[in-house]
This record gives sequence, C-alpha cells and structure tokens, in this order.
Amino acid sequence: MTTKSLERVCYVEDDEDIQRIVRMSLERIGKMKVEIVGDPMVAIDAIVGFKPDLVMLDWMMPGMDGPTLFRRMQENPQTKDLPVVFITAKSTPTELDELRSLGALGAISKPFSPKELPQQLQALWNALP
Amino acid sequence: MSTEAAPTTTYTGEFAVPADHAPAADPTRQILADRVEQLYRQSVPGTLLTLFVGAIITVELWTSFYRDLTVIWWLITIAISAARYGLYRAYLERVDHDEKKWLRWMAIGALAAGVNWGIASAVIFPSHTDNQQVFLAFILAGLISGGIALFASVWWTYAIYAVGIILPFTYVLANSGSRMFVELALLMPVFYLANVVVAYRLDHVFTSGFKAREDYRGVAQEQKVMTAQIEEQLQELLNARREVEASGRKLSLFAERAPIAVLEFDANATVLEMNPAAENLFGYALGELVGRNALQMLFPADELGINESWWRDFLSGVEPATFSRLRCLRRDGLDIMCEFTLTPLVNDEDDVISVIAQGRDITQQIEAERLKKEFTSTLSHELRTPLTSIIGSLQLINSGVLGDVEKDVSELTTIAERNGQRLLDLINDLLDIEKIESGKFTLAPEVVSIDSLLRDTLVLNKGFADRYHVQLVIGKDLAPAKVEADPKRLVQVVTNLLSNAAKFSPEGGAVDVTLKLDGDRVRVGVHDRGPGIPDAFRSRIFSRFAQADSTATRQKGGTGLGLAICKRLIELMHGSIGFEDRPGGGSTFYFELPVLGDKAVSNLEQLGAAQ
Repeated sequence: MTTKSLERVCYVEDDEDIQRIVRMSLERIGKMKVEIVGDPMVAIDAIVGFKPDLVMLDWMMPGMDGPTLFRRMQENPQTKDLPVVFITAKSTPTELDELRSLGALGAISKPFSPKELPQQLQALWNALP
Repeated sequence: MSTEAAPTTTYTGEFAVPADHAPAADPTRQILADRVEQLYRQSVPGTLLTLFVGAIITVELWTSFYRDLTVIWWLITIAISAARYGLYRAYLERVDHDEKKWLRWMAIGALAAGVNWGIASAVIFPSHTDNQQVFLAFILAGLISGGIALFASVWWTYAIYAVGIILPFTYVLANSGSRMFVELALLMPVFYLANVVVAYRLDHVFTSGFKAREDYRGVAQEQKVMTAQIEEQLQELLNARREVEASGRKLSLFAERAPIAVLEFDANATVLEMNPAAENLFGYALGELVGRNALQMLFPADELGINESWWRDFLSGVEPATFSRLRCLRRDGLDIMCEFTLTPLVNDEDDVISVIAQGRDITQQIEAERLKKEFTSTLSHELRTPLTSIIGSLQLINSGVLGDVEKDVSELTTIAERNGQRLLDLINDLLDIEKIESGKFTLAPEVVSIDSLLRDTLVLNKGFADRYHVQLVIGKDLAPAKVEADPKRLVQVVTNLLSNAAKFSPEGGAVDVTLKLDGDRVRVGVHDRGPGIPDAFRSRIFSRFAQADSTATRQKGGTGLGLAICKRLIELMHGSIGFEDRPGGGSTFYFELPVLGDKAVSNLEQLGAAQ
C-alpha cells in the first residue's frame, strides 16, 4: 500500500466534454497534473512523454478501444508497469471481470461524480502495493 | 357407459316366475315354497276332476233307492270343491310367504276331499247293487291312485287324502259279510302303503327337480351378473378404444399441423417418423429421412463425434432434454441453430424404445438476441456518455469549485442535476430489468453483514429523505446477521424501499427500518406512515411500470420499475419480498433472505479468498 499522493494522471478519452470535466475535477478538486489524450493511436507516446503516476482509459473509442490500448501498453516496457483505471459505461460483473483479467487497477462507472473522482482515484492508488 | 337391462318376467300359468328371480337366501325354504306352489297348481284340475267324477256318480245312482243320500253327498262335494277353489284363489292373492301355513290349509283341503270320498264309500257303497258297488270300487281305486299325481309334491298330504278314503272304505268292506270283501279289506292297507311309498318317491323327485331349478336360478343369476359385468367391461373397453383412437387422431393432427418440427427416432437415432414442419425445417421429404440416421443426416459432419457422444449420454440418462440448442444442417447445406426438446419413451425395463424430438429453428432468434445485446450495450454507452457530461458539469458548478454563481442560476443547475440523475436512474432501471428478464443478469454474491449494510445505506439516503423532510430511523441494537448477497444490489434494493417510503411519507414523518431474525431467515422491514397501498394497486405493485396512479407519478416521480427490479433481485438472492399494512397507518415493505450460519460464512469467505 502506497502512501505517496497521486499527482500525475493521464486520461485517454475521445469525448471532449468529458475530457474537460475530468480535467476540471482532477485539477481543481484533486490538485493533480492532468494530461488528456484524445486519440488513442498516439496515446502511448503521450504517456511515455508525460510520465504519469496513473493512466485512465475510456473503454469505447474510435480507432482503438481501451482494452486494446491497455494490451499495447503492457507490451511496451515503458508503460507496462503503469497502473490503469478504466472509466467505462460498461459495468456488468462479466465486463468488470474482463477488466480485472487484463490487469487493470480498477474501474469507475460512467457517469461518475466529478466531485468524488479524485478521491476514488486516490483510493485506488493507495491500494497499490 | 354401463347398460342396464330391463327386468323380464316369464309367466307359467297364473304363477309368475321372474326370469331374473334371485336365488333364495334359504334354498330349503324356497324348495318348500315350490312344492306348496305345485300342490296349489294341481288343486284346480283335482277339484274339476272331483266335480266331474262326482257328477257321474250322482247320475249313475239317480235312479237308485238312495237318491236323497246321493244328492246330499253331491252337494257336500260341491261345497268342498268350492272351498278348495276359494283356498286356491286366496293362495294366489296372498301377501305373506308363510308357506307352512298354506301347506296346512292344503292338507286340510286334501283331508276334506279324501273324507268326502270316504263317506261316499261308507254310506253309498253298501246300499247299492253289485254292479253299482263294482262301479264305485273302481272309481275309488282311481281316485286313490289319481291323488298321487295331485298331491305327490308333498307326500304326506297325499297320505292324509288317501287315508280319508281308505279308512271308511276298508271298514265297510270288513263288515260287509262277504268273504271276498273281507279279503279286499285286508289288502287295502297294503294298497295304501304302496301308494304312499310311490307318493313319497315322487315327492323326492319333485324336491330334486325344484332343487335343480333353484340351483339353475342361482347359476342363471350369476351368469346374468357376469354377463352384465362383461357387457359393462366390453363397453368400457370400447369407450377406451374410442378415446385412444380419438387421442391418437388428435395427437397425429397436432403433430401434422404443429408449427414445430416433431420427429421420432429409435435408440440408434434412426428417423422413424416426422411431421411436415420437420420436412420444412430440414428440407427433406419424409421418404428421404425415414430409416436414415439423424445424426449423420441432420447435423454437420464435423460435429458427428460430439453429437454421437451427446446422444449416448442422453440415452443413458433416460431423462427428457429440454431446450437443447444444437447446430443443424439443412438439405441445401445451410447451417441453422435449432432448439430441441427430446423425450425418451422407455419400456418397463427402462430401455429406450424411441425418442420424440420437438425442434424449431432459432437461428433468427439468436441473431435477434445478439443484436439486442449489442443494442443494449450501445444504448448504455451512448446514453451514459452525454449524461456523464451533463451531470458532471452540473455537479462541478453546484459543488462551488468553479466559484460562486448567482442564486437563480444555482437553483436551476441544481434542478438540472437532479433531473439528469433521474434520467440516469431511469436508464439504469431499464437496463437492469432488461438484463434480468433476458436472464443475462449476474450477481456478485459475497458474505454481507446486513445490519452494517442497512446502517450505511441509511446514511447514503439521508440527503434524499431530507429533501422530503422525512427522518430515517434505525434501531441501535440491530441483530447481527450475515447473508450471501451482492452488496451493491442489496444496497440498491434498500435504497429503493427507503426512497419510496420517504416519497410517500407525510412531511415531518419518520421511516422506521427494522431487522428481525426469524429462524434461518432475516427480515428487513421499511415502515412508512404514508397513505397506504390502494386496493386496486396491490396485485400489480411488483409488476413493471407499476404506479398507483398518474397523479402520484407526477407528484412523486419514478419509473415504476423500482419494485419490479427489487423483487427480481431479492429472488435472485434466494429471498422473498412483500408488503403489508402498517398497524396505525402506512405500509411496511419487507424482504427476507436466508441467514448464513458460522460454518457457511467461514466456507464462503475461504472460497472468496481462494478466488
């Protein structure tokens, strides 16, 4: 369990509105540094460049879905150890099991509460060994 | 259907003998009755014969010296004959069955007749000429022997009758002074005894005859009963056969007209029969499939091994297989998915003699299910994504992190956020109910401390209750209980019951939450002080889109899906849900779940840890 506070978060999301809300939530309430990536095809480069503590991935995105991007990250030595949290509208036990089997740190259901999002991410971060 | 034959009666003279006359409970008594009846039957010709013979005697002796005596005797004869005929009529019209009484009267009649002839011999015989005496002697001898035929069915009545004749006649002969008549008088008892012996033997013949008749009646009656039973059984068999034939025709019609394919296989999966729907389904004509192996003809060749193994397992189970989905191959090479119900027909030794299969093409249904699932998933994503933006934006504004906003603006954004949340609840409810009813809903059960869960859920719902100025009250010392449940879904159920209770409670009222252990079940109750459940709404309160009335819907909001979801969730957790009137007004909604014992808790927790 880590006691270090979560400071840098990279969020890969194609929806600009949600990008903005997440940025506001994490920056203003969570006081975190946030990097938003709208195109999953360039996400790995952006992640490597930003060096986040944690990566948030949307599930359904044009070009490449979240799980595929996650697998690509796991294949890349520079991103394979980064904790990943999915933000998804999918929330059935089967779907969540699928995420766990991929090695995701957790999942936050859409719609999420921007007020509580920083706390939720921090809680997941703290649970890391 | 039973047949009931009308009773028939066979008439023999004036004595009716029913053909179905039941054998007497006491055969001896019946035989006596038959013998008495025979006596009375013979009494009429006997009486006529008496009158006839008496008339001849009277005419013969009319010119003799003792005409007056003869006339007196003739009148006595007529009187006795009339009395005997009267006795006969009384016997015919009798209402009792006291055969011994009627036998006694017959014996008196026989004695009277005999004595009358005895008087004739005693009074008239000595006073006439030799020729007339010979005439009388012949007549008397004839009457004595003729009496056997009339009275022999009860031999001693003949003995009485004959003794009435013989005694006076013998006396007259013995005192006649003629040596020949004296010798005749000596022979008279011998004649008498000989006749009585003959009568006695005839009596036995009659008795045997009557006994045989009685036995025959018994046999006839038994035969009649048996015949009736056989007829009834035959009729039942005929009816059963008609019913079986009708059922067979019905079944065959059902199979022929059924929209689903019906096939019959033997234990080797050889096709024995099939209906037109099966011909349509697989594209084969009846003659092309009958006698062929279904596993080879109707299923893909690359799955033959799997299907043969499945068939063997099915046969060894000797149990019907329902809703088995199998990939099939049509005659035109098209792959189709079929759903089958297979029922083995077994003999007494549990050997499968044939298998009835009912199948239908579900290819389109599976495609529709896939599309529906895809649509639901897409709908879920496409609706939730904009709602995330809407609710998220409003929450950020309303939380104040973006700075203060004007009061009017704040009120409007609060309304917008609340209604955005309602819209989200509606979408979530619709998706939940769709998943539950399509059987796609899965729970994530774990050991849950229901008392703790209740306290936490009350805290979560306090804000909602405050909006309605309702207080949520829970006892401080709840009984600790553990259940196996999906905590997230259990919170959803409790939240739904609490929000309903708060919405329908009067302002300033309280909603009580109770937890009671009842044997191996725990009961959670949510008690409100609202208006109660209208009678007309009670039966459909747990149905989908159930609302007490449209006014309440507008006032209180809600989709009408909440309780329907609660019911299905609780049932998925092996519990039950219900409601009742709260004493003092309002309603109590409750659900019950099985309580876990310590051992079960330990096992489940170990299992959870292992996973």
